Amino acid sequence: MTQTSPSVLSARGITKSFGGRAVLRGIDLDAQRGDVVTILGGSGSGKSTFLRCLNLLELPDAGTIEIAGTRAPLAHDRHGKARIANPKALNALRTKTAMVFQNFNLWSHMTVLDNVIAAPVHVHGVPRAQAVDRAHGLLEKVGMAGFAGHWPRQLSGGQQQRVAIARALATDPDLMLFDEPTSALDPERVREVLDLMRALAGEGRTMLIVTHEMAFARDVSSHVVHVRDGVIESMGPPALMFGPDASPVFRAFLSP
Amino acid sequence: MDAELSVPALLGLGADGWGWALMAGAGLTLAVALAAMAIGSMLGAALAAAEASRRVWLVRIAATYGLVMRGVPELLVVLLLYFGAPGMLAGVAGLFGLPAPGSPPAFLTGSLAIGLVSAAYQAEVFRGGMLAVPRGQIEAAMAAGMGPVARLRRVILPQVLHHVLPPLGNIWQFNLKDSALVSITGLAELMRVSLVAAGSTRRPFVFFAAAMVLYLILTSASSALFRMIERRGSRWAGGR
Amino acid sequence: MDFLGTTSLGLLRAVPVTVLLFLASALGASLVAAVLVAMQQARVTQGLARAWIFVFRGTPLLLQIFMVYYGIAALGPIRHGFLWPAFREPLFCAWLAMTCCCSAYIAEVLRGALGAIPVGQIEAALACGMGRWTRLRLIVAPQVLRLALPAYGNELVMMIKSTSLASSITVLDVTGVAQQVIAHSYRTLDVFCLAAAVYLGMTAALTAVLRRIERSLDPLGSAPR
Repeated sequence: MTQTSPSVLSARGITKSFGGRAVLRGIDLDAQRGDVVTILGGSGSGKSTFLRCLNLLELPDAGTIEIAGTRAPLAHDRHGKARIANPKALNALRTKTAMVFQNFNLWSHMTVLDNVIAAPVHVHGVPRAQAVDRAHGLLEKVGMAGFAGHWPRQLSGGQQQRVAIARALATDPDLMLFDEPTSALDPERVREVLDLMRALAGEGRTMLIVTHEMAFARDVSSHVVHVRDGVIESMGPPALMFGPDASPVFRAFLSP
Repeated sequence: MDAELSVPALLGLGADGWGWALMAGAGLTLAVALAAMAIGSMLGAALAAAEASRRVWLVRIAATYGLVMRGVPELLVVLLLYFGAPGMLAGVAGLFGLPAPGSPPAFLTGSLAIGLVSAAYQAEVFRGGMLAVPRGQIEAAMAAGMGPVARLRRVILPQVLHHVLPPLGNIWQFNLKDSALVSITGLAELMRVSLVAAGSTRRPFVFFAAAMVLYLILTSASSALFRMIERRGSRWAGGR
Repeated sequence: MDFLGTTSLGLLRAVPVTVLLFLASALGASLVAAVLVAMQQARVTQGLARAWIFVFRGTPLLLQIFMVYYGIAALGPIRHGFLWPAFREPLFCAWLAMTCCCSAYIAEVLRGALGAIPVGQIEAALACGMGRWTRLRLIVAPQVLRLALPAYGNELVMMIKSTSLASSITVLDVTGVAQQVIAHSYRTLDVFCLAAAVYLGMTAALTAVLRRIERSLDPLGSAPR
């Protein structure tokens, strides 16, 4: 666990096309420990696809990915089609990351507590009692302390998303991926999730966030990335990106 | 016994072959299933209407009918009608002082039995179909000035059919297969013909295999037909 | 004892045969169905699974039973082979035919349930690094069971009713006994009504058990979203 390099993410030359349509056309992105990177862009810009390429929910057509010292086991067959070279290494990569989805994706047949302890117990082999202890702590942290025995569909969207965040924290990931975590929520529920994410950023969690919440991006992130047509159009610290010297394209995106 | 005939000769259309008999049997199977489907549709629609009515006793009768028919083996229904029909007919005739009319034709009792079962399942389908059209769409049709006929034809039926056709296709498949049960009444449909042929030639494997192929043709051809109708009828639903 | 009393007793004595045939076929068919669904996931075995389902769903069970009992059992290798003691038994033949037939129907039910699992829940399992078996055990299998249960229950009810076809190859199940009694008493209506009541009792009991299981899997007592 002695990590000499503080680099948590290094993605190089990520490309991806669906049925002949290029969605990602070569994206490079780095993140250091403690970075909070928000990825902004219009719909169809490829920002979610990029995020899903990082934990290989989508297989990039080309490029390399390294997360916390683990290289994504990507290979290409004769026709250049991407495939997983080594399923074991794939899961090793995924255990370094955790993902929070737009639609929460809590496992509907498990209670809140079981959702949170599933990965620690069944993927990491943590003793159940220990995982339960930790899960209670995490649920308290996300403000869901009294809900351990509830079922996902008994909860509001905001509550489900907070449980999903506790689930993501349960494995103490090196990198947290947030895929539009507030887009499926009622406006009055957005805040409770954003506040929680703000707190996580304050703790020094390394986070990659695809979002439409501009104020959040400006106030919380260490870097803002603008993706357009499958490439990074501009990036920089929020002070620059939201300041007068930002790229005109990004400024146009901000004020349509 | 004569020298063993070859399989093509057994299944052929020649004097020693059973080809014609098997095909005629398949035709009768189709006829039984069609008759059963028609009986089932009429009774099923009546049952669905009864369940939707406000008369408690009607609702109860329809519900009980469905419960019994879905809980009792089809074979039992076929047997009951086959063995019981002459007695019941004689009883009814006796009430009017008429002589007992003897056994009704096997085709009639057979397709009636399958139809009675089919009705219970079709009633369920129709009941679901009636709920398929959102009330608001009917109101919109009224607001647009459509009369009852136009509403039924332009708004209600297309949507109901879209919901009802796939499960009706399923029930049709069951009718086709259940018609084999009618063989116990001696009706020379496909199952019966293959049994008779198997018995008299002592080549059961050949004839049961032939019957299987014919049943597969009937079931797959009719499911292809249903799919075609479904596709035509519901292009608006954004299906395939 | 009067006629109805003795007949009821005779029919009830045949219930174990019907129940045994049902339970053995349900077990066999469910196992084969699971194998069929697994086969459908791999390209090499997909065709075989599809053909199996096509044949057994496309032909009447009665014909399949005759095929096993008269057709296959008459083939030389079976007749003179080590399997003959099994194929000589009508109950075994009925079980074999029912297992094959119902496995095709159950496989379709399971496949439907497999397709109904929300993609996002699988993705969530992938995202936290669950391997194939963990995913199957923890996420896929429990969801398939829950989603398939209503349709699976319908298949089981159909199976209870289908066991009556075994009477056509001399198995003395409830229907077989009923036919026997009718053959020497000619009291058709009474006997069939009694037999029908016995089947109704069995299907009602099964439905009650299924509903109980459904409720225990779904503790909120409402349908899943």
